[in-house]
This record gives sequence, C-alpha cells and structure tokens, in this order.
Amino acid sequence: MDSNKKRYKVCFLVMICALVIFFFVGMGVGSADISVVDISKSLINPGDVYMGRILLSIRLPRIIAAIVLGGALSVSGYLLQIFFGNPIAGPYVLGISSAAKLFVALSMVFLLGRGVMISSLVMVIAAFIGSIIAMAAVMALAQKVRNMSLLVVCGVMIGYICSAITEFVVTFADDTNIVNLHNWSLGSFSGINMEQVLVSSVIVIIAVICTFIFSKPIGAFQLGENYARNMGVNIKRIRIILILLSSILSATVTAFAGPISFVGIAVPHIMRMAMKTAKPVVMVPGCFLGGAIITLLCDCIARTAFAPTEISISAVTSVFLAPVVIYLLVARREVSRG
Amino acid sequence: MDKGIRLEDLKVGYGTSIVLNNVNIDILPGEIVCLIGANGAGKSTVLKTIVRQLKKLEGSIIIDGVNEANLREEDVAKSVSMVMTERIHPELMTCFEVVATGRYPYTGRLGFLSDEDKEAVNYAIDLVGARKIIDKDFSKISDGQKQRIMLARAICQDTGIMVLDEPTSFLDLQYKLDILKVIKKMAKEKNVAVLMSIHELEFVPAVADKVIGIAGDEVYVTGSPEEVLTGANLETMYKMTPGTGEIICSGLWNYSTSIRRLL
Repeated sequence: MDSNKKRYKVCFLVMICALVIFFFVGMGVGSADISVVDISKSLINPGDVYMGRILLSIRLPRIIAAIVLGGALSVSGYLLQIFFGNPIAGPYVLGISSAAKLFVALSMVFLLGRGVMISSLVMVIAAFIGSIIAMAAVMALAQKVRNMSLLVVCGVMIGYICSAITEFVVTFADDTNIVNLHNWSLGSFSGINMEQVLVSSVIVIIAVICTFIFSKPIGAFQLGENYARNMGVNIKRIRIILILLSSILSATVTAFAGPISFVGIAVPHIMRMAMKTAKPVVMVPGCFLGGAIITLLCDCIARTAFAPTEISISAVTSVFLAPVVIYLLVARREVSRG
Repeated sequence: MDKGIRLEDLKVGYGTSIVLNNVNIDILPGEIVCLIGANGAGKSTVLKTIVRQLKKLEGSIIIDGVNEANLREEDVAKSVSMVMTERIHPELMTCFEVVATGRYPYTGRLGFLSDEDKEAVNYAIDLVGARKIIDKDFSKISDGQKQRIMLARAICQDTGIMVLDEPTSFLDLQYKLDILKVIKKMAKEKNVAVLMSIHELEFVPAVADKVIGIAGDEVYVTGSPEEVLTGANLETMYKMTPGTGEIICSGLWNYSTSIRRLL
C-alpha cells in the first residue's frame, strides 16, 4: 500500500514539474523566440513592449487553453471509459466531439447569418446539445452491439458523417467570420482569446471538481452495475452524472478548440499504466494533469514544427496517440482470446 | 419477525414473463437456506430479485422487518451482501482492494478506509484464507481464488443477510469445502441469515437448515434436507426417469454423511 502512495506522489511531482517546464517552453517558442528571463519579467510587469504583448494576448491564453482543455478532454475520456466499462472509449472515437463540432458550426452559421454575435457560452451550449445527441446515439448502438471494437467503428462513422456535414455547411457559408471556422473544425488552439479562456476554465474547473467529488460512486461503478448497486450506489443517478459530466467537458473543448483527436482515449490509459491503478481519486487529477501536459506539448509542436505554417493540433496528437489506441485494441483482443 | 429476510407471495421473472410464482420463504438469523432445482428453474431469478438486479413482479420482500420497497439502496447495502455468478472485471485492482469495496456503505465521501474498515477487511481475508494473495492483481488469480475474494468482500460488508448464487460451482473439492465452511461459520458464529442456490446436492445436508426445491414454475417442496432430498422429489425436480431418484439418493446420503464430518 505504501509503495503505491509513493508511486502516486512521484507521478504527480513529475507531472507538475513537466507542466511548469512546458509552460515556459510554450511561452518562449514560436515565431519570435523569447527567453525565460524575459517571460518572467513581462509576466510580473506587463509593460507595453512588443514582446509582452505577444506573450500576454497571444501565447498566454493559448497555453492556458491547452492546459485546461487538454485536461478536460482526458477526464471526459476517462468518464466515458468507465461508463462503457471499456478502455477504448473516448469523445473523439465515439463521434461525440464531431457532433459537438457540427452543432457549433450550425449555430454559428445560423446566428452570424442573422447578424447576431455569438458569445462563448452559446457556443458551449450548442456543443453540449451536440454531445448529448451523439451520446444518445452511441448508447442506443451500444445496446445493439455488445462488441466494443464495433461500437468504436460506429462512433468513428458518426464522426465522419458529422464532419462531412460540417464541412458542407462551412464551405457554403458566405460570411467572412466563418472562414475562421475551417481552422477550428480541424482542431486548433490558435486565435483563442482571454474571454474564452476564462469561460472555459470556469466550466472545466467546476466539472472536474464535481467529478472528483463523485470519485466514490464512480469507483464502485467500475465493478459493474450489479455490484455497485449492492454497495448502495444509485445506478440511475450515477449514469446520468457520468453522461452529463463527460459531455460538458468534451463540449467545452470542442466549442473553443474544435475536435482534438485521441487525447481523451489515450491519456487515461497512459495514466493507468504510470500509476498502476484505476482508482478515481488518483485518476481524476492524474488524467487532468496528464491531458494538460500532452496537449500543451502537442500544441507547441503544432505551432513550431513547420513555423510559420501552423498544423492542426489533431495532426500532432494523432501521430503520438493513435499508436497507443492501436496497442489498446490489439492488447484487448489477446485478453478476450485468452 | 425482526431480523432476517422474508419473501411473501413473491413472483419473479423477466419483464412480463414469469419464471416463478408464490415464493414464500423465511430465513432467520443463523440459518442457511439452500435453493435447489434444475438449470433454468429460477433459482438465480429469485436471488437477483432480492438484490434488485431484477424488478419483482408481485409480492413483497421484507428485510430485517422492513418492506424492501421502502428502503433506499444505501440501506439495503448495509443489510444484504451478495456473491453472484457474474464475473467482475475490475482493472488494476489488487485482491485487497476488491475485498475493500465491501466497505463502501461505511466509508466517507471519497471512500478512504478507516482503521475500523481495514480491520474488517483483514478479518474477512483471514476468514477465507486469502492472506497470501491480497497484493495480487485480481484479474490474474484462479477462479477458485476469485470466489474466495468475492466471499470475503461480502463478509466485510458486514450484513445480517447474505445472498449467494452457486458459490461452489466450478470449484474443486477442497475449494468447495473451504467456501462452505466459511459460510457455515458466518451463519453459526456471526448469526447471518444465508440464502444460497446450489447444484451439488451432496453438500446440502451438511450445510442447510432448510431446503427449498423448485419445480415447474413454483416452489415444489420446502423442509429439512431429510424431507426434501428424497428419490421422488428429485425425480420431479430434475425430471428424472422414475426409479432413478432412489438410486441417486442412497449414494447421495452416504457421501453427504462423510462431507458433514468434514464441515
């Protein structure tokens, strides 16, 4: 028992250090390289210098967004995996992110076309409605197909359908505001502003704290519904809580950064391997930190690898995390055979 | 009736299809009641209904003197523990952690174990003789060991009623004896009311205070092992050729006398 606690401590310490390091790396690298000393100076005393403006109005919101939304995505994936009792679930592979994206795009085109400016909150609500609808579709499918790999294939298909419709809508929308949608619909943290960061942070922090508070029933749910009920868990309630929390988290991410692939599915698994536990009390903060670090790192790569051209964040996360998902699928196959 | 469990005119089944009618059973503290019958006769259906996996169709379940319909999940969890045939697949949980989930109804908001909880978990682990495997990954131990762990889990839930669905199936002889010994000990020393289904009739006389035999879609016979385990009853319950019941019974009673000496 004590060796476990030590392992958790080391993992958390390493992750916090990594987060701090990547924070400064993220602030420093880009089209204009800035040294750590200068970053610290302008953070403490935001002057009117050119450097400070880049840092505070462009890089800082982007980095906070990557941290908060990356963490949210991975906690969302963790909750979905518990809900479906399966390690190969995530908001992206189940099509939930893409459905959220479709609803945001539709509401933008519809409202902007009528000259209404869209607030951040409206985008989150639109994304949430899309998430819930996709979740309902996946749950209906899950009752028909017991095989999880097949369910994932169905989810990917739902994702393709939603992406195709989004593409269609965006292409034929004439408003100039919507031109930006193209970048966003592939997944990107670029152009995110401080107001959006604030709104998303508030939602995500509340949702993650709620998740942590429900650690106990979520942990019981991991033993299967029947045993959870026998432990005194209200099954109906915990199912609704899992759906709502995972949808709110993934909807917030999609509303501001578009669909980001594979973070939600792969990070919880990486954390499980690192921590050697599946306990929610450890996993919820662990997933949040892990998701934050990986997303932040991938975002840094996305904007610096081929600078000044930026690539979509999903391109980077796919390269790093899709192999983890393939490994998961293969490893599971062996388990079911044995 | 104060403690224990009573089933009154219980009708169980799946949705609209009724599996078993008019189940009336009283199980008092310290008593072991065995439920016997052919495959698919409805033994598991009754047990699943008691632990709320299935909705009861009619009748009532009285738990410690209170109608179950008026109890919340949390209350039932402190009164009824279970070991079912369903396999669980917890990820990355040690045997200790699986047993400790039995303490769920007693732990605080985040589910951390108090010293008292740990004591109860350790007591249950020692009782089933699983001390050696507590740090092993639950998914990597044998079926017999899993069954021990699941029993320890139910024991540390510290309830007055235990519901066990075929706790001895698929185990080797020694495991069967070990598991039954523990169950008997719980009933006789901890005054637990036990309702269990079982296929191995030769073990029934050694553990059961009362036996309930199911045939057709109702309770066919209730009574002591001597009253229930007769050739004629077996022939009806298991749809055997007339005359074969007697042959089985004579051997069965010999074997079970030996087993009784071991338990």
